[in-house]
Amino acid sequence: MALGKTTRTVIGRTLHYAGLVLFAIFTAFPFIWALSVGLSQDASNIWIFPRAFWPTDPSFGWFIRVFHEMPFMTYLGNSALMSFWTVVGVTVVSVLAGYPLARLKFAGRNLIFVAIIATMMLPSEVALVPNFITMKHLGLLNTMTGAILPNIAGAFGIFLMRQAFEAVPQDLIDAARVDGATELQIMWRIMVPVCAPSIAALAIFTLVNEWNDYLWPSIVLNSKEKLPLAVGVFNDLTGPFATSTSLVMAAIVMTIIPVLIFFAFTQRYFVSGLDGAVK
Amino acid sequence: MASVTLRDIKKTYGKDVQVIKGVDLEIKNGEFVVFVGPSGCGKSTLLRMIAGLEDITSGDLLIGDTIANDIHASKRGIAMVFQSYALYPHMSVYDNMAFSLKLSGESKEDIDRRVQRAATILQITHLLERKPKALSGGQRQRVAIGRAIVREPEVFLFDEPLSNLDAALRLNMRVELSKLHNDLKTTMIYVTHDQVEAMTLADRIVVLNAGVIQQVGSPLELYEHPSNLFVAGFLGSPKMNLLEAQLVSLEAEAAVVRLPKGITVRAAVNANSGKVGDKVTLGIRPEHVQLKLEGEEGVPARIDLIEHLGDIVLAYVEVAGVNEILCVKLPGNHPELKRGASVRLVFPEKSTLVFNEQGLAFKRTC
Repeated sequence: MALGKTTRTVIGRTLHYAGLVLFAIFTAFPFIWALSVGLSQDASNIWIFPRAFWPTDPSFGWFIRVFHEMPFMTYLGNSALMSFWTVVGVTVVSVLAGYPLARLKFAGRNLIFVAIIATMMLPSEVALVPNFITMKHLGLLNTMTGAILPNIAGAFGIFLMRQAFEAVPQDLIDAARVDGATELQIMWRIMVPVCAPSIAALAIFTLVNEWNDYLWPSIVLNSKEKLPLAVGVFNDLTGPFATSTSLVMAAIVMTIIPVLIFFAFTQRYFVSGLDGAVK
Repeated sequence: MASVTLRDIKKTYGKDVQVIKGVDLEIKNGEFVVFVGPSGCGKSTLLRMIAGLEDITSGDLLIGDTIANDIHASKRGIAMVFQSYALYPHMSVYDNMAFSLKLSGESKEDIDRRVQRAATILQITHLLERKPKALSGGQRQRVAIGRAIVREPEVFLFDEPLSNLDAALRLNMRVELSKLHNDLKTTMIYVTHDQVEAMTLADRIVVLNAGVIQQVGSPLELYEHPSNLFVAGFLGSPKMNLLEAQLVSLEAEAAVVRLPKGITVRAAVNANSGKVGDKVTLGIRPEHVQLKLEGEEGVPARIDLIEHLGDIVLAYVEVAGVNEILCVKLPGNHPELKRGASVRLVFPEKSTLVFNEQGLAFKRTC
């Protein structure tokens, strides 16, 4: 006998949510585990599953120790500074490069775009040596600028912004042109606000990438006081002289929290910027 | 206010795709001109060329007495209303309307005065703080028109501004646009594919097809004296009945044509440029065909379908030997008309048009 419509809806929805819950658990479990371990003063249960997901003898002890064992605030400051300038740089470069590729007509436009996209085919490690040599010649080794500069022009950001600008209806640009806006005014006063969701996506993507970037800063920076969190935490708390897994987990949780806060604040920009523009 | 003159305007894409094939047109100061034509006829392209949003391949565009071919869109003294409204989604209604004035460096007081005036004209004063997404389609369209009004342009350009609105709102806005033109007395150029808009709004209609002007004239002139088959078929709803025929006799004030099965029809046209035996097309508007009862004089026909629209009845009738189904528009209500009924059709001489083999109309004699 065929199932009633309501029953089918209930079953469908249950399966739907069950799938989503499973996916959420799958995605969140490393963080929950790390949080639980960091909060467990008693580390005896941290490898016993699923017991490890509940803190044993909960306290902030390990978190407090992170501040004593390593210059956490210095690393945090460095990471924040590097990430901020990288996000600014990537956004500006991607917007400025994406706009003409999407909207202006000039010879070789497609060739340039293909060339930029082609760089995505190469693994990022390929750029390490040339970048290192370039930074050396520029005298930027062991400087914050040297750690930031090679990351600000990325094919992904340019591609993302080009696609976003291309999706803006031509009428909107024409309207601005008739209203007397110059090309730059059209870009900054119309296109950029309209593409705010894409820019927010690019910003958060860049931030996460930069926040977690380990390889390049570890190569270009060698003074401890200049290291970002990813490098600093790894250098100080892991390896043969690592003191405790709990300490590492507490440090990891503290490393992730700023990104989560940033995401919470930028989330509201992820709604469509084009609502109401055109029919 | 300014006149707009187009002299042999052409537009070519790439090397050989010509979409505007030499347009000559003079639009007078303060006139409301409507470009009408089917999709792809080049009407929007022509408007965009006047706006400065498309390059002119060759020919001269004059706004007032100035050749405007190479003048930037914002300096032509035009304002444009787009089909899609094209409102800036991140700005309030006020800022949308004030944007062009801010760019041109007007004083704050002046901007406020002009925005408030336009908002009052369009009755959108209460919407000024809202964002476009919080507006209905009709309100958005008003804002788009308001944005054009604040610029106090010499020429208004409208690119199918009502086609995204529902039928009732469209009618409403049409009336308001007409009023707006009466109040502002500014030159307006309006593009539409809707012939009702064209007929009701225009001082003059420009009918375009395949990048060529087919006819320019007042709405009634075009309706009653279409210069060719295209204009005859395009204007009027339901469209004009067009039947293949043959010229059988020429008189000074009339011509006689023969439909298949030996049916002859007299038309008050001067067909002296043609000759007996020529293939022609007979044209008669649905409201001019007279429907008589069986037994009366007229061409025998049979009703194929009846559509009751309340105020009028549309009867689709079949004439033996004629391939086309004829449409007859009858005022009022006719419950007596039934599908399959035999009737007689009369084509009044004074309302019948004849087109030659090339599709050009013979001049009417009355």
